[in-house]
Amino acid sequence: MTPATAGLDGAAGRYTGSRVHRVEDPRLLRGRGTFVDDVVRPRMLHACFVRSPFARARLGAVDATEALALPGVHAVFTAADLNPGVHEAWYTSMGKDVPDTPRPPLAEGEARFVGDPVALVVASDRYVAEDAVELVDVDYDPLPALVDYHDGPQADALVHERYAGNVAGSLGAPCPDDLAAVFASAAHDVSVTIHQQAYAPVPLETRGIIVEWSGEELTVWAATQAPHEVRMFLARLLGVAEHQVRVIMRDTGGAFGQKVLPMREDMCVALAARLLPAPVKWIEDRRENLMAAGMSRHEHGDLRMGFDGDGRVVGAYIDHTQDVGAYPTPWPVGTAAAVGMLFPGPYRVPRAGFRTTSVFSNTSGRTAYRGPWQFESVAREVLLDIAARRMGIDPAEVRRRNLLRRDELPCTNPNGMPYSDISPAETFEQALAMLDYDAFRRQQAEAREHGRHLGVGTCTYVEPTTTGMAYYGTEGATIRIEPTGTVNVYVSGGSTGNSLETAVVQLTADALGVDLADVRTVQGDTAVTPFGAGTGGSRSGSMLAGAVAETAGVLRERIVAIAAHLLEASPDDIELGESRAQVRGTPAAAVPLAKIADVAYFAPAKLPDGVPAGLEASGRHHARNPMIWANATHVCTCEVDVTTGAVRLLRYIVSEDCGPMINPSVVEGQIAGGTVQGIGGALFEHLAYDEDGNPLTTTFMDYLLPTATEVPAIEYGHVETPGPGPGGFKGVGEGGAIGAPPAVVNAVADALAPFGVEITRLPLTPATIVELIEGAR
Amino acid sequence: MKPAPFDYHAPTTAEEAVALLAELGDTAKLIAGGQSLVPMLALRLAVFEHLVDLGRVENLRGIERVGDSLRVGATTTQSAVERSEVAADAVPLLARATPLIGHVQIRNRGTVGGSLAHADAAAEYPAVALALDAEMEVLSPTGRRTVASPDFFTGLWSTAVGDDELLTAVRFPVWSGRCGFAIREFARRHGDFAIAGAAVAVELDGDDRVRRGTIALFGLGPSAQRSDPAEAALGGAAVDDVDADELGQVAVASLDSVPSDLHGSSAYRRRVGAAMVADAWRAASEEARHG
Repeated sequence: MTPATAGLDGAAGRYTGSRVHRVEDPRLLRGRGTFVDDVVRPRMLHACFVRSPFARARLGAVDATEALALPGVHAVFTAADLNPGVHEAWYTSMGKDVPDTPRPPLAEGEARFVGDPVALVVASDRYVAEDAVELVDVDYDPLPALVDYHDGPQADALVHERYAGNVAGSLGAPCPDDLAAVFASAAHDVSVTIHQQAYAPVPLETRGIIVEWSGEELTVWAATQAPHEVRMFLARLLGVAEHQVRVIMRDTGGAFGQKVLPMREDMCVALAARLLPAPVKWIEDRRENLMAAGMSRHEHGDLRMGFDGDGRVVGAYIDHTQDVGAYPTPWPVGTAAAVGMLFPGPYRVPRAGFRTTSVFSNTSGRTAYRGPWQFESVAREVLLDIAARRMGIDPAEVRRRNLLRRDELPCTNPNGMPYSDISPAETFEQALAMLDYDAFRRQQAEAREHGRHLGVGTCTYVEPTTTGMAYYGTEGATIRIEPTGTVNVYVSGGSTGNSLETAVVQLTADALGVDLADVRTVQGDTAVTPFGAGTGGSRSGSMLAGAVAETAGVLRERIVAIAAHLLEASPDDIELGESRAQVRGTPAAAVPLAKIADVAYFAPAKLPDGVPAGLEASGRHHARNPMIWANATHVCTCEVDVTTGAVRLLRYIVSEDCGPMINPSVVEGQIAGGTVQGIGGALFEHLAYDEDGNPLTTTFMDYLLPTATEVPAIEYGHVETPGPGPGGFKGVGEGGAIGAPPAVVNAVADALAPFGVEITRLPLTPATIVELIEGAR
Repeated sequence: MKPAPFDYHAPTTAEEAVALLAELGDTAKLIAGGQSLVPMLALRLAVFEHLVDLGRVENLRGIERVGDSLRVGATTTQSAVERSEVAADAVPLLARATPLIGHVQIRNRGTVGGSLAHADAAAEYPAVALALDAEMEVLSPTGRRTVASPDFFTGLWSTAVGDDELLTAVRFPVWSGRCGFAIREFARRHGDFAIAGAAVAVELDGDDRVRRGTIALFGLGPSAQRSDPAEAALGGAAVDDVDADELGQVAVASLDSVPSDLHGSSAYRRRVGAAMVADAWRAASEEARHG
């Protein structure tokens, strides 16, 4: 075993691969977490935004006289005060050269959605700030708004003047003639348009930030997935050196993509802090979060798929259009390409093509959300069920005939995605076996005779995780073994609910052969952790494992050398475990790690030649693959009440392949969380607007999240195909949210198949289901 | 989501509370459990200069059987009703409606009087009060009065309780004989306000004919309401002759101003309402027949 992979051979680890309890839980379950709103600074002030009540309006004068007269109000900032303070405002992941879409801190000239921040009030507390917000008099001149992005290209209203037809950008090409010819000559040529509604990440903790400017140094407490990106972004924004900015995140209450990048409000607070004599805190409330923290998933696809007489795919094309709202974060055009590139999915598709178009609207801006490209799976899997019914073949059988088999891999899909180390046919068969698909079909037939409508749906997908590109391609760790032999691991990481502290502690304990209880990790503080790109793109498991292995390998070698020297043995005979080093096969010949550390720090003269003093090391993992592929199959069964349209989910099964698991409980927790969000998207969640662009779902009375009573127990199956990265680990953070919506939609469609219903529009509210049934009658 | 400033008053007697209301006029609002009012204040959908808290008022809380009725004090929590054997025994419909209200945390704070006085169109208790012909006890600066439930609910979020009055208790008549009760509602999720619902109370005579039958609908208009056409169809009918699905259709056929929103159109709500009436009738009539 080379040092760089020490402790990473999964099953061989004492802790890695086991269901150890999360190290985050003792503090979180006892209410001792530190979220940004828990942080209180001396003399701290509180911010609240004045937000546009109009979907589109020309902005006139802002009169803050009355607000400023209110006791406790310190300042009211307008665009003229804050926006000129911007030096540069580009995201590291995108680079400064992309044709980025507009993102002013406060609205300039025009308000472009209901909730657009037009002024910032700073007061002694949030109550006073909200009182003052009501006193700020903004001269709005309402203008016709573009609410529905479908109307974008034809609309007279332009969300941003310099984007003709409201198009932010487009990639790919119209269906080429030769592919159209493939469809035209196919035995079955299936065309369908599928629409997905807007829904959002909705973290339990809303957005929030505290900015404290103390002359030469800016300290920021933030709810974020990427503290180092917050630091880099704010340094550029304010035109200060990176090392003048320190960003601290201890606990973040969920993010799911919404907190992967600083947004306009964060920019405002940072710019305002520079003009204030005291730290300023902004904590978003739920209404703001549902109105202005961004939306995702709002898109449609004109799909075409050809099949031969046996139901085998001969070609696939998607013309994808997405709503990017008024101010998307980040530049939305490039990321949308993944929808097209992944549309062929885990199937043998000989020919394919895509086009994707991003269209502005006067609504909340598009943001990243757990599997931002998931429409490829929604579109493909819903289409496959529709095609199967049109062809008169069972939907499972159609998939079986088309799924890529292990002996066909690795291979590159027709849109250029290089698949490797995946097992779609295996997860598919495992999930169907867990259900007993044939038995369910018999049960369904019997239920239908009694007027009950049961259905089963599946989704199989492949997912690129752990991108190795640019900013995301490396991750560092520093490990400090203290003179007592206890261990601290410093990584960028951060606690956003995905158990990175637990994972890092498990991996480090195994890599160094120490007890779990002797390892602690410090994450999320840019002043003490190595640079890292944060959580996103299902990268943290693999990248942190690589960083820990790289660093622990150096220390392990040093520990072994010192132990061998002290025990007068050959380094080759030294083994590490239970926080001590011993000569293999001779338990009596052992030395505790504490003794080795003591020598390393306090008796360097006793060290063997060439071994440096101390037991501290830093290392950096460099991903060598452009991505690591993961895959899964979701299977859902349901019963539909055709009178009320109510859908009751009966069983929910996920068979996934994320390679060897660092901690199966964490893996299953990630799958469960994503799956429930996907169920929400299929059945409940809808960030809706009325025709004037007023948001209709700004509280949890109207924005319906699924709860424990709406979700069945999720059953898990695991297939383990090692990936090409450290330990063979793959990403698993996003998949649940990708696989669930189509599985649920297909289950409902299957239940309603006797009515001849085709489902092409989400979400499936009870009222919608009744409408479909009545429409088909 | 912080309320506008208000003055807080905590009277200890009902008379004191009513005197405060008389003094402060419509700038004051009573607060009991706060489960509807506090979110409205936080969103600044409602702004009051004064809140008069009923939490410390004596003698407003409690459940007792008084002759042929069950008297429930206005600040009795929904959870207390849920746990009350006296209530379950005397007024089964009240007991059965209670678990449908929100979630347990909401019922721990939410009160019977608050729910009736708030009079949300989709709430359960107003429908229960209507179905059972409950009577409301109201205290005003000039004395006490009793309001029959049909006169109590006057429209969207409005009741016969005046700005200077306080609902102190509700008396639910105890139905005896061969009775059955059921409440059914359909909501998007467990605990949400109903898209549509129905409460049914029925008493049969010895020949299985309907002696008394009441049907109250909720979520199907600006306030809870009795269905006169459906009740007329029940009058004196043999229970076997009543077609539950038809009864449901009759109950919703003549409704006007059925709400329509993101969660469902008026037509959809009628369809669901009819199904809830039918289900509730089946369960209530079955219970009346077989006990």
